[in-house]
Amino acid sequence: MASVEIQNVEKHYGGFHALKDVSLTIDEGEFIVMVGPSGCGKSTLLKTIAGLETVTSGRLQIKGRDVTHMEPGDRGIAMVFQSYALYPHMTVEENMGFGLRMAKRPKAEIDAAVARAAQILRLEEQLQKYPKQLSGGQRQRVAIGRAITRSPDVFLFDEPLSNLDAALRTQMRVELSTLHDRLGSTMIYVTHDQVEAMTMASRIVVLNGGRIEQVGAPLDLYTNPVNLFVAGFLGAPRMNFVAGHVTSASGKAASVTCGDSLKVDFVNLVEAPAVGAAVTVGVRPEKLRIGNQATGPCFPARVRLTEYLGRETIVYADAGALTTSGSDSGTGVFTVQIGDIQPFMPDAPVTIGFDTDAAYLFASDGKTLSAAKPVTKI
Amino acid sequence: MNRSWRRHRHWLAPTLFILPGALLFGVVIILASIRTIWVSFFDWDGVGPMQWVGLANYQQLAADPQFYVSLKNNVIWLVMFMLAPPLGLALALLLNQAIAGMKVLKSLFFVPLVLASVTVGVVFTWVYDPTFGLLSLIYGWFGATAPALLSDEHLVSFAVVIAALWPQVTFCLVLFLAGLNNLNEDLIGAGRVDGARGFAMLLHIVLPQLREVSFIALAITVIGALRSFDMVAVMTSGGPFGSSTVLAYQMYEQSIFSYRFGYGAAIATVLFAIMAVFIVWYLRTLLRPEQETA
Repeated sequence: MASVEIQNVEKHYGGFHALKDVSLTIDEGEFIVMVGPSGCGKSTLLKTIAGLETVTSGRLQIKGRDVTHMEPGDRGIAMVFQSYALYPHMTVEENMGFGLRMAKRPKAEIDAAVARAAQILRLEEQLQKYPKQLSGGQRQRVAIGRAITRSPDVFLFDEPLSNLDAALRTQMRVELSTLHDRLGSTMIYVTHDQVEAMTMASRIVVLNGGRIEQVGAPLDLYTNPVNLFVAGFLGAPRMNFVAGHVTSASGKAASVTCGDSLKVDFVNLVEAPAVGAAVTVGVRPEKLRIGNQATGPCFPARVRLTEYLGRETIVYADAGALTTSGSDSGTGVFTVQIGDIQPFMPDAPVTIGFDTDAAYLFASDGKTLSAAKPVTKI
Repeated sequence: MNRSWRRHRHWLAPTLFILPGALLFGVVIILASIRTIWVSFFDWDGVGPMQWVGLANYQQLAADPQFYVSLKNNVIWLVMFMLAPPLGLALALLLNQAIAGMKVLKSLFFVPLVLASVTVGVVFTWVYDPTFGLLSLIYGWFGATAPALLSDEHLVSFAVVIAALWPQVTFCLVLFLAGLNNLNEDLIGAGRVDGARGFAMLLHIVLPQLREVSFIALAITVIGALRSFDMVAVMTSGGPFGSSTVLAYQMYEQSIFSYRFGYGAAIATVLFAIMAVFIVWYLRTLLRPEQETA
């Protein structure tokens, strides 16, 4: 039985169409991460599952029960808020036991549940403290503890780590994954941080403009994005996108020319575009190679800037008239990621190349045309 | 000049800004209070020479039956005024709904705040009028005769307090509406997820967030009840037979009409002592959280 079933959910705020025909089935024990740019509807979708927002139309089921019109407290969910939303006038213990107290559970049961959550989250020492006496990481754990004590069918997380500093965020990420393994509960997690999405999710849901763009395992999405949006959203630094047009096409093969210095011959396309059609070629920064050893398609460029990150080097290279669109740097330069430290002189002329197999081809409407690539099985 | 200003401005600037207010407060409040206490030890008609009488004014006050009537009326004011914060909160909860036309309704509720309290007093005097007042009309519909509230020595204080409650409730309503606007939406959401609803939501999630507003509403209501004067002056002049007089009005009457400034000052001093209890409580509660964060 599916843990959560979202069927054709629509949400309008006045004139704003926040969720457009969203359908998703979540299995028992899955860790679902919903990502997307701000305003994509991911938080709205989470709140409709929680019941904090009503749906305009559509149906929501949790463990086979229709919860579409139920109050949040009756849905069998627990939620961790971005602001933690701890009750400031209650101690940690009272905060964590509040849900059970509202459910009129006996005191012994509440105490046992709070003690268990406190033990899991290492909060035994803090039970009598008030939220304002706790550090950010401890508050975060209390918020999670409040969710655990209720033993919900589904855990909902709304950007829970975004108020923590980088070191603590990594720590909490690991703790949350461990917690998921330990409890085995269904978790739905909203974030704008793709590292959290890639590392924690059993499946990622990419949302854009109120619509689900793609659902799948992290590496599937990373390797085989269904469209240009997903390809650009997952992966940091972002994929390099170059505009081009189809010069010849036959069967499932097509030649694409970008600017006047790059020509890519695609084979095994899902569908061949028409000759003359505008398309976009995409290559991930780690798939670009710098140097003379280039065998596949290649083009000349000049090094604009080099970032040495210790274990890798990021090179921003200017290919003149051949420009990328929508890159992290906000300019038209190419981003190349090299797996070790290599020195580059500023303004040095280089040749950038890649394997055609590593390149993606997107139609003008964003749809991926290139064939699916093999995914590393974990 | 420039250099010494820069060195000292961290304390000079705030001092300069506070000075006018502090001066005004010092002269009008502090000096006047000390002077009042001083005057209360004299027999004085306000213009002639002052005659030292020691505690005689207080001894006379302790034996004055009118003083106890005033004191009793102040207690009635205080107790009945305690209805203002809860009534204000109830109305605020009612008006704090996202329904079309609520803005118009809200502004109607704000009317008594715009009116001078003298106006409120006059309006209620008319309402209570046994011949043409609204109250007598309502009684008339049921074939009954309205009681002459303002000339009944047992009911008059209650009638005046009800009139005074109208703007006081509104004042609390405005405070609570502002408080409700600042509720933390995530906390409400967390409460809903935790299954709190209806009264439990109000008690455990909403009210704790309104703690500071409630405190201000309560303190201002207490002080408002104790310094009640204008309504009594406009509606009854303390009558009939002094039965609706409160301490503040008795002080005014003794000083201005009876030329007994020493006696009036003694009443003022007693009223000040009563208020001081509440003011000390108010300041202590107000200053405590600041000490905690410091």
